[in-house]
Amino acid sequence: MKRFLTMLVVAALLVPAAAWSADTIKIGVLSDLSGPTSDVGRPYAEGIKAAGAWLNSQGGIAGKQLELIQVDYAYNVQQALAAYKNFISKGIVALQGWGTGDTEALVQFVAKDKIPDFSASYSAHLTDPAKAPYNFFVAADYSTMLRAGIKYLKDNFKGAGKPKIAFIYPNHPYGLSPIAAGKDYAKELGMEIVAEENVDLKAMDATTQLLAVQKANPDFCWIGGTTASTAVILKDAKKLGMKAQFFSNIWGIDENLIKLAGDAAEGAISLQASAGYDDAGPGCELIRKVTNGQHQVASYIRGFASMLVMAEGMKRAAAKGELTGPSIKAAVETLKDYDPMGLTPPISYTPADHRPNMAAVLFQVKGGKMVKLATSTLERKAEWLGK
Amino acid sequence: MSGKCGLFFTSYRAEDAVFPSRFQKLCLAAFFLALAVCPLFLNTYHLSILNLMGISVIAAVSLNLLTGVCGQISLGHGAFVGVGAYAAALAVRAGLPFIPGLLCGGAAAAVVGMVFGLPSLRLKGIYLAIATLAAQLILEYLFLHWDAVTGGLAGVAVPPPEILGFQFMGDERMFYLIMAVATVCTLAVTNLMRTKPGRAFVAIRDYYLSAEIVGVNLFTYKLRAFGVSSFMAGIAGGLWGHYTMYITPEQFGIGQSISFLAMIIIGGLGSVQGAVFGAVFITLLPEVLSAGAGGLGSVFPDMATYFLAMKEGIFGLTLVLFLIFEPEGLAHRWRLVKAYWKLYPFAH
Repeated sequence: MKRFLTMLVVAALLVPAAAWSADTIKIGVLSDLSGPTSDVGRPYAEGIKAAGAWLNSQGGIAGKQLELIQVDYAYNVQQALAAYKNFISKGIVALQGWGTGDTEALVQFVAKDKIPDFSASYSAHLTDPAKAPYNFFVAADYSTMLRAGIKYLKDNFKGAGKPKIAFIYPNHPYGLSPIAAGKDYAKELGMEIVAEENVDLKAMDATTQLLAVQKANPDFCWIGGTTASTAVILKDAKKLGMKAQFFSNIWGIDENLIKLAGDAAEGAISLQASAGYDDAGPGCELIRKVTNGQHQVASYIRGFASMLVMAEGMKRAAAKGELTGPSIKAAVETLKDYDPMGLTPPISYTPADHRPNMAAVLFQVKGGKMVKLATSTLERKAEWLGK
Repeated sequence: MSGKCGLFFTSYRAEDAVFPSRFQKLCLAAFFLALAVCPLFLNTYHLSILNLMGISVIAAVSLNLLTGVCGQISLGHGAFVGVGAYAAALAVRAGLPFIPGLLCGGAAAAVVGMVFGLPSLRLKGIYLAIATLAAQLILEYLFLHWDAVTGGLAGVAVPPPEILGFQFMGDERMFYLIMAVATVCTLAVTNLMRTKPGRAFVAIRDYYLSAEIVGVNLFTYKLRAFGVSSFMAGIAGGLWGHYTMYITPEQFGIGQSISFLAMIIIGGLGSVQGAVFGAVFITLLPEVLSAGAGGLGSVFPDMATYFLAMKEGIFGLTLVLFLIFEPEGLAHRWRLVKAYWKLYPFAH
């Protein structure tokens, strides 16, 4: 029995991966399926694969089928680098990245190897082609989202005097990323910054920090973490009876958070970048068809949209000539107000500005569901590029 | 041809050699020859794995000097590697050529290592581990928040290394550079262990009281261990920064420190060869698991996802199994294998 099992394992290791015809378009996919961000990483990766399968069913791009080579790197930067080198040796023309860690580490590599990298890390400095020429993403960057959220809240503020705002975020690059921009913009709009606290991404309790925030009595409170720490913060805030309007971004408040925080999430505002699963529009209908009506979280829809935008760039590049990394980059930079089947606000890139749009789609948690509130759009200011 | 049986020395100098027998020298020459020609047969992916292995070897060998040879547990090694990376990056961006920049990185890491090694005067064992953990966390905080020096969360872009006008761009060229530096570092540590400071380190590890009675100044030798070990960690960090060309605070976390400790435990505490084996093993483990999952995936599609999800668990399990069944590490197992072949068919 032991010998049979050993032979089985050896045979499995020796069986090569399914042989593909040489005439495919290879795209590398870095996913976190088992690491710290896997709760959002898995739906995102599924969205990408679903989009790839749908594109292949529609005949692929320029007649060639897409081949998605996926690697789970569990948010380990070294493994991401090795996986990337593996992709290069297999001949990818584009990359679907994931988190801040791997995207930052690969910035120089994708620029040198000329491989467009569509990441799910929406850091503002990746939007500056002078620093990150081959990086793109399909959601507004973190700083723009925070600014758009602040603008919406200020415009709808009904109290007297200056609105008071507090910031709660983890001491981590992802959490710190939009804070400086958010504080500057809040001051510019005439808000008063009354409190700033650190709550770690893995925190189990936020009562101490929230007591300090409660003393300052803010009207609005930004939460800059991921769903785990946001759930902790919202539950502790409800316990303390805090009246502030909490708002967060895509990684902070999504459908999972409602399950984690229960009623404590009521009324919280989420700054999303994509439509919801139940929304109208050709893209959402397609996703409902592809997933047989099984509800998917926002990450899935964003992954799907990311793949669609990349495919549009590839189609344009193939129409002009050869499909290579640089030609895809140039084609993607010609996208102007491109609408990925209604899944995200219109996306435009230019060779000097890789910000997809300046819009945030606001959802509010009402009755245990995410209900669309409004879309907040900012002016595409040049001095905000890269910050 | 072979008139002698076994090793027979006729001079003290011959006995003192690092590689006493001719067979060892031949094997080493063959190994280096294989290393020199392997880029011709390997693709970028395999070379990148070898590059990561080379950098890990330098870090593991230096941690082995501190923990395995001198007995000072250190959980801050990842951060010292980070200090070296940032210092080397800043030095090169300020205009220094590559090698002085790298040495600058090493020196900065050595100073920081010695500062955080000061608690070793009073603390031993697990208490020193907590003090070095504090070093790791403090340095991580500094990397993230000291914007003026480290660029904060935006990180630092590092140009590829350049020696006398020759640019080391790409995995193949970096492979030669990294292997050269790794060889020098490994040789340096081996030689260090055969000199007075090396023997002092071993004495401190074995029993500090006896070492002190014999005349070993505990404090200066412990600081020296921290200094030399952190210097080499800084060199590893400088190479890492030049290899990835972009360093961010996330790359030097507590996970790295634990990874280095795992390398020397699995390889065998106290032996340079063990540190090398451990570094190779830990660097290869995730790649083998990915390849295995990929192979299994084509036969059992669902199982592959579960297999991948267990990667962290398998890493921990490997560590625990090694501690239970092979506490002296891969180096010990290698010695047993060699002894078996040398003495066959006799048992001893």
